[in-house]
Amino acid sequence: MSLVFKAEKLGKWYGNVLGLSDVTIEIGPGITGLLGPNGAGKSTFMKLLTGQLRPSIGSITADGQPVWNNTSLFRRVGFCPEQDAFFEDTTGREFLAGLLALSGMGEKEVEERAGRALAFVELLDAQDRLIRGYSRGMRQRLKIAQAIAHEPEVLILDEPLNGLDPLSKRKVIRLIKDYRTEGRTVVVSSHVLPEIEALTRTIVLIHQGKILAQGDIPYIRDLIDAHPHVVAVRLDEPRRLGALLVRDPSVQSVAYGPEEGLVTFETRQRDRFFGLLPKAVAESGLDLREITSPDDNLQAVFDYLVGK
Amino acid sequence: MAGGVFRVLSFTGRLVRRARRTKVFAFLCLLPVILALIVRAKALASPGRGLDGLAIFGNIIVAFGLQFLILILALFFGTSVVSEEVEGKTLTYWTTRPVPKPAVVLGKYAAFVAVLLVLVLASTAVAFLILNLDRLDYGPAWSFLGKSLAALSLGVVCYTAFFTLVGTVLKKSVLFGFFFSFGWENIVQYFPGSTQKFTVMHYLKSLLPGVGETSPNVLQFLMFRLDPSPAWAAVLTLLVLTAVFLALACWLFGRKEYLFDEG
Amino acid sequence: MPIAEQGYVHWEGRLDVRRRPWRPIVRLGIRLAFRRKAFKFVLGMAFLPTLVFAAGVYISERLDDFKEMIRGADRFLKVDPEFFKAFYASDYLLFWMLIIMVLAGAGLIADDLRHKALQLYFARPLRRRDYLQGKALTLCFFLLLLTLLPGFLFIVLKVIFSGSFKILAEYPWLPLSVAAWSLVAAGFFSFYTLALSSLSRNRRYASILLIAVYFLSDIFFGIFYGIFRDPAFTLLSVKSNLQQVAAALLGAKPFFEVPWEYSAAVLAVLAVLAGVVLSRKVRGSEVIK
Repeated sequence: MSLVFKAEKLGKWYGNVLGLSDVTIEIGPGITGLLGPNGAGKSTFMKLLTGQLRPSIGSITADGQPVWNNTSLFRRVGFCPEQDAFFEDTTGREFLAGLLALSGMGEKEVEERAGRALAFVELLDAQDRLIRGYSRGMRQRLKIAQAIAHEPEVLILDEPLNGLDPLSKRKVIRLIKDYRTEGRTVVVSSHVLPEIEALTRTIVLIHQGKILAQGDIPYIRDLIDAHPHVVAVRLDEPRRLGALLVRDPSVQSVAYGPEEGLVTFETRQRDRFFGLLPKAVAESGLDLREITSPDDNLQAVFDYLVGK
Repeated sequence: MAGGVFRVLSFTGRLVRRARRTKVFAFLCLLPVILALIVRAKALASPGRGLDGLAIFGNIIVAFGLQFLILILALFFGTSVVSEEVEGKTLTYWTTRPVPKPAVVLGKYAAFVAVLLVLVLASTAVAFLILNLDRLDYGPAWSFLGKSLAALSLGVVCYTAFFTLVGTVLKKSVLFGFFFSFGWENIVQYFPGSTQKFTVMHYLKSLLPGVGETSPNVLQFLMFRLDPSPAWAAVLTLLVLTAVFLALACWLFGRKEYLFDEG
Repeated sequence: MPIAEQGYVHWEGRLDVRRRPWRPIVRLGIRLAFRRKAFKFVLGMAFLPTLVFAAGVYISERLDDFKEMIRGADRFLKVDPEFFKAFYASDYLLFWMLIIMVLAGAGLIADDLRHKALQLYFARPLRRRDYLQGKALTLCFFLLLLTLLPGFLFIVLKVIFSGSFKILAEYPWLPLSVAAWSLVAAGFFSFYTLALSSLSRNRRYASILLIAVYFLSDIFFGIFYGIFRDPAFTLLSVKSNLQQVAAALLGAKPFFEVPWEYSAAVLAVLAVLAGVVLSRKVRGSEVIK
């Protein structure tokens, strides 16, 4: 059974600067995405989660044990830090083997696990090259390798996709998804919304040191009563469809354009509206080209929550 | 804990052997040998002039080693225990392993001291052999060498421990270490009376051969104004100081948060 | 001309005829140095000899008033080339200049190497010599503050306190000597510091190299002089060479019985070596073997 992390009214101050405030959250098995803009407090939270920082107030525990100064936890936890820093004069294999040896494994086990981790991140070909000569993508994958080499139950990744090209990003996303087997916990932070969306549906939104919302995207979206959902429909006769639906109480507003054939509906009752729409289209014989929900994504959710 | 220390020592030893700057410091440690070779060559070129190998070894090699070489080496390697990892942002790799934090400090310290001892003692011993080729059967010369090596060893151990503590606490550890080594240590060691006992150098010099003898000895230069402590007291003080410095460094490292410069 | 040799040039833009691309580098270097509290303290300590010697200039014109206090020392308060030699060649001043080089200069290139900033620099219309010029002038700023400024200050104060231009009549070449020595010291220390800073990505290591090379050269001089009693070993010591050249340029008696031209040659060779190191280490791209 994987570790469960619990933060209880967790706060961190850097002098007068607030890093994190009043965070109460439980992180269990599965992939949890930590999302927020730069400076939101994601790295601070990651560092508190991994005992790099001590809480100013509140607590952070793993299975009831405090995380700070509890290095024995790291038999079960792997951490991929944000900073691009290595022991540059070592090869990839030496780097991994050295860190694995710190966990108390024997030489044979170290070699096996290092080999497996390098194979997992597709760095076997470059394992005997100095890290100094690695590309950005290789360095990022090596960081992930050192986090997973001892096969921890919990994997904590701080901005693992930073600075990667699209191909490398896809590789790393696949790696992270593959790692999440039964019972394992993965915590990933990013400031890039599509990256988090590609990884998980369970997210924690963080902004200015506070947690704005947590849950899956539709759940978070439904929390936002103040903001109606937007549904955009493209068809030949937008005004006909608009006229058919405007009287329904679930429709708050109808707008046409700016492109030809586009009609946009605002609704507070998404389920009712999506029941109504196909019925209206089928009964009227309209020729529908496209239905999109422009704000049914993380960006829109985030923008609403931070009040943009 | 002991296992953790050993594992850290082992990994650090590998890293140190690979580091380019180790080669630079190894060259620095060769300087006593180069000095000895030059002196020996000059003596061979002027056969009329006798060479007092022991005097040159004592007044130059040991003096150079004690008052410059081990200070520079201990300053760099001692402060590297923590500072290098913070500056290089690699500290995270050490603190996210199942190794107690004190073991990280002690293991790295032990690795650096081991490397330094090998470098310093080997070069000093070779320099001694070069300068005293003609009196290798002279028993007191070996005793001289033994005591000098003991003083240098304890110097490496104690100074590295001190600079480990400095590196754990201070950001500007090199500058502080420099002022300590070439300011405090180099000046206060010559103060008369008990004031000189506030330097590590006093205890190291108290271990040197010929201390307390009334007749002039080969280490007159180093003995200048020395009011020596008994050898047993000097060794005890040095070991206690080392233990205190390391204990403080371990305690502080465990409690301190290290923030990386984001610049 | 191949692209690789041109650096980045904005083909469609118009660059100023009189470009000084090193100016922002100098401004930044000075600003960054002053941000550190330790640096301000060290700069203050380095100015102490200026204050002491300035007081000496004043006292030299008031010897009768201070006769009781300076009994026997009045010969040291004659403002002549020996006075300037005592100031410029003092171990104290040279020591603090070294510390300033450590604080302001050890990371000048080392930090750029660590953060891979050279690629950013050379992606602008900036040549390698502009970059090095900027870095060197940052150091020269501080060094000239400690050498050129006090030297002229002493001359001006002497003129003011004596109420005459006697000092300039007696030693008309003195201002030129002060300027020459200041430029030599600033130039040498800049080359020395930048070369050692370029040898590592680690500022701490560069700091230790700066200190170690300076002191080691002096220790070696002391050791060999102690054994062989030959003043030629002066040439081993960076500090001694600087002192010899200072004495010669200021028209004062040299410290050692070694022709000052030899010391100047040693310093010149070291500066050239430093230049070679810099030309190899400061590149827009890194070659990884």
